[in-house]
Parts: sequence; structure tokens; C-alpha cells
Amino acid sequence: MSTADDDTLPGIPNVGKADLDAMVEKERPDPREELADVEADTDLGVAMAEDAQRVARGELSGDEYWEKYDEAAAAEFGEAYQETPNPAVDAGDQTVSTETAESLSCAVGSMDTVATESTQVEGDGPDGGIGAGDEKWGMVIDLQKCVGCDSCTVACKSENRTPPGVSYNVVMEEEHGEFPNVTRTNVPRPCMQCDNPPCVQVCPVSATYKMDDGVVNIDYDRCIGCRYCNIACPYGARYFDFGENYDDEVDGAGELTSSEYGVDRGPREEGKSPIGNIRKCSFCTHRLERGEEPACVETCVGDARNMGDLENPDSDVAQMADSSRAFQLKEDEGTDPNVYYLK
Amino acid sequence: MATQSSRFEFDPGFEDDRLRIVWYAIIGVLVAVGAYATYLRLTGGMATTNLTSIVPWGAWVAFYIYFVGLSAGAFLVSTMANVFEVEGMHRIDRDALFAAIISMAVALLFVWIDLGRMDRMYFPFLWRQLTSALSWEVHAYVAYIGILVTELYFSMRIDLARVAQRASGLRQTFYAALALGRLDTSEGSQSFDQRWLKRAGIVGIPLAIFLVHGGTGVLFAVSKARPYWNSGLFPVIFVISALLSGTALVMVIYVLRTRLFDGDSVDPDLLDRLAQLLIGFIIVDAALTAIETFIAIASLHPHEIETWQVIMYGPMSWSFWWFMIGFSWVFPMVLLTKKSWRRTPSVMVLAGLSVVIGIVAVRFNIVVPAQIMPVMEGLPHGSYFPTLVEWGTSVGMIGVGLLLYTLGAETLPLTPLTGGDHE
Repeated sequence: MSTADDDTLPGIPNVGKADLDAMVEKERPDPREELADVEADTDLGVAMAEDAQRVARGELSGDEYWEKYDEAAAAEFGEAYQETPNPAVDAGDQTVSTETAESLSCAVGSMDTVATESTQVEGDGPDGGIGAGDEKWGMVIDLQKCVGCDSCTVACKSENRTPPGVSYNVVMEEEHGEFPNVTRTNVPRPCMQCDNPPCVQVCPVSATYKMDDGVVNIDYDRCIGCRYCNIACPYGARYFDFGENYDDEVDGAGELTSSEYGVDRGPREEGKSPIGNIRKCSFCTHRLERGEEPACVETCVGDARNMGDLENPDSDVAQMADSSRAFQLKEDEGTDPNVYYLK
Repeated sequence: MATQSSRFEFDPGFEDDRLRIVWYAIIGVLVAVGAYATYLRLTGGMATTNLTSIVPWGAWVAFYIYFVGLSAGAFLVSTMANVFEVEGMHRIDRDALFAAIISMAVALLFVWIDLGRMDRMYFPFLWRQLTSALSWEVHAYVAYIGILVTELYFSMRIDLARVAQRASGLRQTFYAALALGRLDTSEGSQSFDQRWLKRAGIVGIPLAIFLVHGGTGVLFAVSKARPYWNSGLFPVIFVISALLSGTALVMVIYVLRTRLFDGDSVDPDLLDRLAQLLIGFIIVDAALTAIETFIAIASLHPHEIETWQVIMYGPMSWSFWWFMIGFSWVFPMVLLTKKSWRRTPSVMVLAGLSVVIGIVAVRFNIVVPAQIMPVMEGLPHGSYFPTLVEWGTSVGMIGVGLLLYTLGAETLPLTPLTGGDHE
């Protein structure tokens, strides 16, 4: 990066720093105009914002700032202020002195605890553990919208940090007919989370099982790696973790793992589960539990993938799964998948 | 030869010391190769195999069902003597039972090394799944080994007692311990043993046919995702080919052990009887396989037809034509047709070995081809040939089986001391 204005690279137009600042200034909303829209006191808001900038620049300390505004804020926002923990007061990363923190009239505690508490209030069921939700998760994939870009496969790999040879989602590309009368269909294939899963049926140690929310779980701490489920799955959705890594491609590839099925297993290490276990798509249970869509659904460029509660008749997926375009893969197997496709 | 002067002559083990050294040297090489390969397998994990998520079952599973089959077959041959009391078969009763035990041990070694998490091998006894054939199988194997050991005990106990009575010191303690302290050699004790031998055999027959080997066939047949396995006839063929390989193994063991350990001459009538059994099993096995193939092809189910095309014309078709059809059916059948050959030990050893090797290909052709065709169009095709680590470990585990068998044959009275049938 260049530090001086005249320090330009050949072929790149010289945009002066002053020009950029002017552009930013032009785009910056007027604080008074913005604050006029809310009920709170405009003067107090502007003053707090200006002083906050001073804190950021180091001209004012956090302690001074909060001592100055605590009373005014408490008067202005009342209960809402008193019940919300101050972001400057945090167990691990506190930016004000303990003395000041104790003198403040707002609640003490980290923002994390607030987030956890609010999730628990909104969340389903009283602490039934992972997969105990009231929903019955289902996916609907619109084949007319799928362009076959494979970004779901990529998003899945990076979300679940699957090793080489393990791909919870693949896009099967089928070509039919002879030139010039050729049609091509892309069929994304996650785990079907079948209602009658053959994999669950064959597991000798019950390491794989249906959860209340319809997702088929694998208990990596129980799986013995016999691969019978791998054989039994009619969709080829199960993969064995041979212990390979992307270490040659990415530095520290195994340092982060996904907390699949809500279990954080730390770094990927030789001889430690899930190495030597069977793996598969979990509908990103760990994301569903915190109210997010599976990575493949979120990333899909054509909006072809939909996630929702199949038992809620008003949900998009339930309505799509009911449409005349809907079908399941290998319907005659009797597996009754919870992944539906739209023709 | 058991002579008149010494009614209970007991001198197990090789007659020829040089042969003993050569034999143990061969076993030593096999076990050493296996030990190194197992070291590579343990340190390198399952990545040392050519298995993939598309072909998750390979050589180890093929050898596992092969040895379960050998065991079930050998056991069923033993019941001809101790349950059905076929004349002249008692001579091979213990040989068959002991071979069945060793085969089962080797089979379980193959299951063990095949697990992704070998350290969790005991988990199936902690957690179960009622609908899982494999869960049932694991328990059936344990019960079956229990039956085999019980049977061998009741079959051999009186001779262990006889040997213990005449031996002294450590040897006496050893044989008395194997007899579980029951050193009575009276007729009463013998008929007690025979009664319980028969009872254990009666429990063992359905266990071996329906649970142990039929069940191993069911393990594959329930897999609806693989139409090639998903047939009712499949477990039946499993049992028949088990009988075929088991009979062949017992025949080979009978001849070799009689010649090399007992220094005795082979009973041509017994050999002929085993050979005729073998003919019957070859015919039934080939016929049922033909029926199975015909039904598969007549179904016009693309998956079935393509799988059979892989078997008959694919890159591994040599194993089908040469080993499965050639070695396990055609070649032994030729040797078995002539009566004078059926009474010639060397020819029958050749026929028996041919079957024992040919059935290995039968097992590979059960396990692998069903995984070549993808379960869904658009998924990749499988391809599989074992790595050196897989071959090496397999050789090693077979070596362990040979070692255990030889040690047993060198110490136990596998040949009834009183000669042939129960007196």
C-alpha cells in the first residue's frame, strides 16, 4: 500500500487521499437528521457519539466517558439501559476500570450471556439437547433453479470442514439424449434424512439414529467404523473418514473443525473421531440450532434450495413439498426422504 | 499306525522333523509379512487400503465371509459324525471341529482389522440394534464359537484324560486341565460325553446354518441398495458354498494330517465318501448360482445386468472364469468323476485345495462387484483392487490361523486314539 499521495503505481489512476475523504464525508449521514427520527434526545446522542470518537482516538478514557454519561443515559433510557449489560464491561475484555464498572447503573455481564438467554427464551422446547426441536426439518430443491454451479458443495465443505474424499453434498450431473437433442439435469444430493433410514436399520451399535427433528445423527463416539451404513445407503450419502487432510493445500487445515451435531471436538487429530468413522450431511444441525439455514441453502446462487419445517403447513417447504412438481429420490425404496425435489 | 501292542499310542506332531522346520519357516514368513503389514495398517489407518467411500468393503470383508464359510462348512461336516452318526466319519470329527474353531478365529481377526476404530471392537456387546443383521451376527459368532469349543471338548475329552493318565508332570497338568479335570475313562463317562456332544451339535446345526453363515448372507441380502445382493436365494447360496469349501478343507486336512502327522494310511472309503459329498455340493452350488444369475438377468433390471456384466466381462472377470468357475467347480469336478481318483489321496488333496482356493474368488465376487455400479446415476463408479498392505495383513492372518492349527495338531489328540469310530 502506498502511504503518500504521489506514490502511484504505473497504470493505476492517482486518487488523492483528500478526494477519498471528501467522498466519505459526502456519503456520511448527518447525525442530527438521523437522530431526529428516534425518540431519544438528539443532543445527548450527538454528544455521546462525538465523545465516543474521542475515546477511539485516545483523547478520552473509557472511564471518563462512562462516568460522564452514565447518569444521563440512565435518565434517558430508563429500564432498558439498566437491564442491558454495558459492552465496555465484559468478563474477558473489559475496557473500563472495575471501580467505574461498579459505579455504573447498567447491568453487569457479558453480551454473550444476553445472547444465550435470549436464544433460550426463543428456542424450542425446554433443553432437550441437540435435535430435540419441534420442527421436522425438510429441504426442497428446485431443479429448475439449480444451475449446477456446485457452490453448495463448496459451501458445505468449508462449513463442515470435511476432509478429502468426504463431501456431504454433491451435485449429480445427468445428461440425456444425443446431440443436438440433449437435456441436462443437475441433481444436488445432500443426506436425505429419510423417515425410514436403511443406515439406521443396519448399524450394529445404534451409533446412527433419527433425532426428534427428523435429522439422522451419527454419534462419532460410538461408531466403530464398520461401514455397513455406507453399504446400505441407497443414495451414496455416507462417507468414510480415511483420515486424509488438506495440509498440503492449506496451512493448519485441521486446526478448526465444525461442531457437527453440536459437539465441539477441537482440532482434527490422528486416531481421534471422526477419523475412522462414517460421516454425512447433518442438515447443518449446528446452524439450525442457532437459527441459521444450512450452509448450502444460504449460499445457493439460484435460490434453489429451501429449508424449513415440513410439519408446519404454512411453511414454504411444506407447500413446495406438496406441489405437483415435488418428488423424492428413489421413492419406491420406501425410505421416505425429507429432501424433496421440484421437477 | 496305532499298533495292537500300544492301544493308546499318542505321538502327535510331524513325523518328519525336516518337514516341521520347513513348515514353521513358511508360517514364520507369512506371519512376519503380516506383522509388518499390520504395523503399516495400524500407523497409517484405513488410508493404507484401496477402499473408498464408493467401495467401502474389500478384501478383508471377502476373507471374513470366506473364513466364516469355511468354519460353518467344516462344522456341518463334523455333525455328520456326531449328530447323524454317518458310518466311518468319526475319524474326521475333531479335525473338522478344530478347523472350524480356527477358521472362526481368523474370520474375527479379519472383521477386527477392517474396523475404522479397532479400539471399539467390543462396542457391539455394549450397544445393539435389533434390526441390524450385523448386530445379531456378532452375537451368533460368539455363541457358535462356544458351541464349537463345547463340541470339541466332548469329542476329545476321553482321549485327553487317557493321555493325562499316562503322562506326568507338566504334560499331565496340561492335558488334565484341557479335560477340565474329568479324567474318568469309563464307558459311562464316554457315553455321557457322546450324549452332550450330540446335544451341542443339534443346537449348533441351526445356529451354523441360519445364523452364522445364513445370517452372514442375510447381512448382504438385506441391502436393498445393492440389487445384486438383495435376493432371497443369496443366503442359501452362502450356506451351500460354505458346505463346499468346508468339506474340501476337511478332506485336505484329513489326508495331510493322516499322512504327515499320524504316519498312517488314508482310509479310501472315507475319502470316497467325502469326495462324493463334494460332488453333491459342487452341483448344488453351481446350479443355485446359475438360477440366481438367470433371475438377475431375466429381471432386466439395469443395475443387475450391469453388475453381472462387470463380473463376467469386467477387468476382474478372470477371477470369475478361472477361479470361481474353474477352480471351485470345473477342475475339482473333473478330478472327482473317476472312482479310482476319488480313492487316491494326492488327487483328492489337489481337488480339495482347488476348491478351497476357488471359493476365495467366490467371496471376492460377492463383495466387490455390487459396489462397482454407483447406487445412483450421476455418482462415480467404483473400482477396487487390494493394496499390498491389505494382501500382507491377509496373508499374516491366514498365517496365524495355520500356526494355531499346527500347534493344536501337534499337541491335541485330534485323531481318536482308539482309531476310527467310537467304540
